[in-house]
Amino acid sequence: MRILIAVVFSLAAQAAWAASALNVVATTASMGMLAREVGGAAMQVTVLAAPDRDPHMLQAKPSMMRALRDADLVVAVGAELEMGWLPAAINGAANPRLLPGRDGYFEAAAQVSLLDSGQAADRAHGDVHPTGNPHVNLDPVRMAAIARALAERMAKLEPAQAATFRAGAQRFAAAAEQRVPGWQAQAAGSPGGVLFHKDGNYLFALLGLPILGYVEPVPGVPPSASHLNNLTAKLKGQRGVILHHAYQPAQGPQLLASRLGWKTAVVPLEPAKDADAAAYFQLIDTWVAALVAAKG
Amino acid sequence: MFERNLLAAALACAFPLSAFAASDAEVAALRAEFDQKLKTLQADYEMRMKQMESRMVPAAEPTSRTDKLGAVGSGSSFNPQISVIFDGVYYNDNKKGGGIEAMEHIDGINHSHDHEGHGHGELERGFNLRETEIIFSATVSPYFDATLNLAVDSGGGVEIEEAYFDTRALPAGLKLRGGRFLSGVGYLNSQHPHTWDFVDQNLAYRTLLGDHGLKDTGVQLGWTPKTGSLYTLLGVELLQGNEQVFASAGEVIPDDVLPGEGGLKPKYAGPRLITAFAKFSPDLGDDHALQLGAWAARGRQHQEVHDHRDENPAAKVNGLEGDATLWGLEAVYKFDAPGAYGEGDLTLAAEYLWQRKDLAVAFHQDNPAAIGLGRKFTQDGAYLHAVYGFAPNWQAGLRYDITGMTNKVERQGAADVGYEASDRWTLAVTRRLTEFSLLRLQASSANLYEDGDKNRVNQFFLQYQHSLGAHGAHKF
Repeated sequence: MRILIAVVFSLAAQAAWAASALNVVATTASMGMLAREVGGAAMQVTVLAAPDRDPHMLQAKPSMMRALRDADLVVAVGAELEMGWLPAAINGAANPRLLPGRDGYFEAAAQVSLLDSGQAADRAHGDVHPTGNPHVNLDPVRMAAIARALAERMAKLEPAQAATFRAGAQRFAAAAEQRVPGWQAQAAGSPGGVLFHKDGNYLFALLGLPILGYVEPVPGVPPSASHLNNLTAKLKGQRGVILHHAYQPAQGPQLLASRLGWKTAVVPLEPAKDADAAAYFQLIDTWVAALVAAKG
Repeated sequence: MFERNLLAAALACAFPLSAFAASDAEVAALRAEFDQKLKTLQADYEMRMKQMESRMVPAAEPTSRTDKLGAVGSGSSFNPQISVIFDGVYYNDNKKGGGIEAMEHIDGINHSHDHEGHGHGELERGFNLRETEIIFSATVSPYFDATLNLAVDSGGGVEIEEAYFDTRALPAGLKLRGGRFLSGVGYLNSQHPHTWDFVDQNLAYRTLLGDHGLKDTGVQLGWTPKTGSLYTLLGVELLQGNEQVFASAGEVIPDDVLPGEGGLKPKYAGPRLITAFAKFSPDLGDDHALQLGAWAARGRQHQEVHDHRDENPAAKVNGLEGDATLWGLEAVYKFDAPGAYGEGDLTLAAEYLWQRKDLAVAFHQDNPAAIGLGRKFTQDGAYLHAVYGFAPNWQAGLRYDITGMTNKVERQGAADVGYEASDRWTLAVTRRLTEFSLLRLQASSANLYEDGDKNRVNQFFLQYQHSLGAHGAHKF
């Protein structure tokens, strides 16, 4: 018993010593990348969601509560993307600093304007997010704005490092904005593509390309045969590409592609868990390349 | 570029005459002046162009130094989040509808003490509307959240399933809950029926904790200490100990048997039931999760009145009182596969529960000599279930549950009584149409002992569930 107590206390002491800088928890890999870019190399960032999982569907696991228990700041995508698990995990973490409305809770979607906001809050249209499309992570321009806001938040929490945070955000924002004209120029002339879920919308808007359809009949519902028939009829004779993530079932996209004579491209929604800005820009490159290939 | 040439031409035109009349030195001076002016203009022009270009970058956002607090949500401001859960089943069994009642008469130490005011179990063959759950929750203030969970049965009766507050702002990983709530003991106890992977409660919970599990009025203190990468939750609860199968006080001997006072002791002041629980979960990465837990509960006062005159008019009434002890162990493993809509996900959960009621005879209708003799009731139970996502939005669940591996009454001054163990196999297939709707087909086959006789009870359920309103939490 005495040994157990000693172990518990030494673990607690270790955790206390390690927390010299801001302890940041990010919900997704993109948010983790942003936190590291803004916070600098010294910042300790834990990412909750594996990049190859659907961020809507996760469960509030004890390990998430564990990570949130000691965090100073949680960086979430927001707009109800993590609705199913983040509130439950924060609740289970018993860490009042992270409650929405406090400085320790940062939502990316709250910092920028959202697409599709104000649509009918009617689940006849699937698992809709009436506050707007939460998938802002594929928009480098919005991510730049989010980086600047995140720097201000981190500066509030650790004023001594404010200059570092602002410089980090500026560096990311400049790098992102500098690449935008190139991506736009490459993608120009692409016929656009079909998405599985409404998660590439911001990038398509930035590139000025049309979204020709969605493999899901409504958000959160797997494709049905009749929906794929309708899509085929609508898109017959057009050109394009079908984009989906590795975790989304490939059957629907492949069936549609074979009927239309198109190609499918498996593109990730998130970079690796430990990604830096370069890896994030590569992710955008992958999407742009898939759309460029659709020019035929 | 075109504008720049134009500018140069215009400047050149401004000096033509003086250039003709002037000496070489003057020409050189003028040229230097001209070059200087041109350079200034060019620099100024380029700076303006750059400014314009930078403005053309799609700046979605204000560049002021601000960050917005809070969450973007569709929650309706100050109004509570509301959700309603509809639950209906088509039911049939091989006992002409008697299968549900057979579940309630399983041989064991609690079989004759049904304190439930209403039952999840009252199903008839055919279509049934089960309890409709209505859940309200909101933040009260910076310091409290509150939740109300009402269950409306098909006859219109309303019961407060849960009504509690939670603290928001306690430091050091502490959380206090107060009101009426499902206890934090065990893995399944705090789960509402709409989050179960099966239509009905497992036999171990049903017989040892009651159909709803352990639910009482009191306070719960939870603590999430700093334990490195190991998740730890420690909790203790002080509960009233009302109307539990193992903790019930204030029972009275019927007036026609014992008029007036006497027999059983008056109710002790609460809290009469204390629980403690611990849950641990190591960090096993993104794919795996494991939670281990243990709990114990102690009821300071428990009373039972055994009155079987309804079934047998010659039966004698007796009353017992004493205390009760329970403990349990739980293990939950989850595998999170990368597939969409839960494909490939696996959950394994197992629990063991043990209960002892240490009572003594406090009243006996025709044998006062028995008063004071001990009666030690012991029973245990367990379940093991596996749920696997075999296709997107499809789950298959298999459950084995058993109660009464130990199932006996040790009687002072009389022979001990032993009961058989009852067990069951259950298969359930769940189709989640969306996050908010499901259909479930469940078949089970049980060996239930009633009065020493073995009954094979086969049950069949077809269940639908719909939830509207606030998006539910994906709890572990």
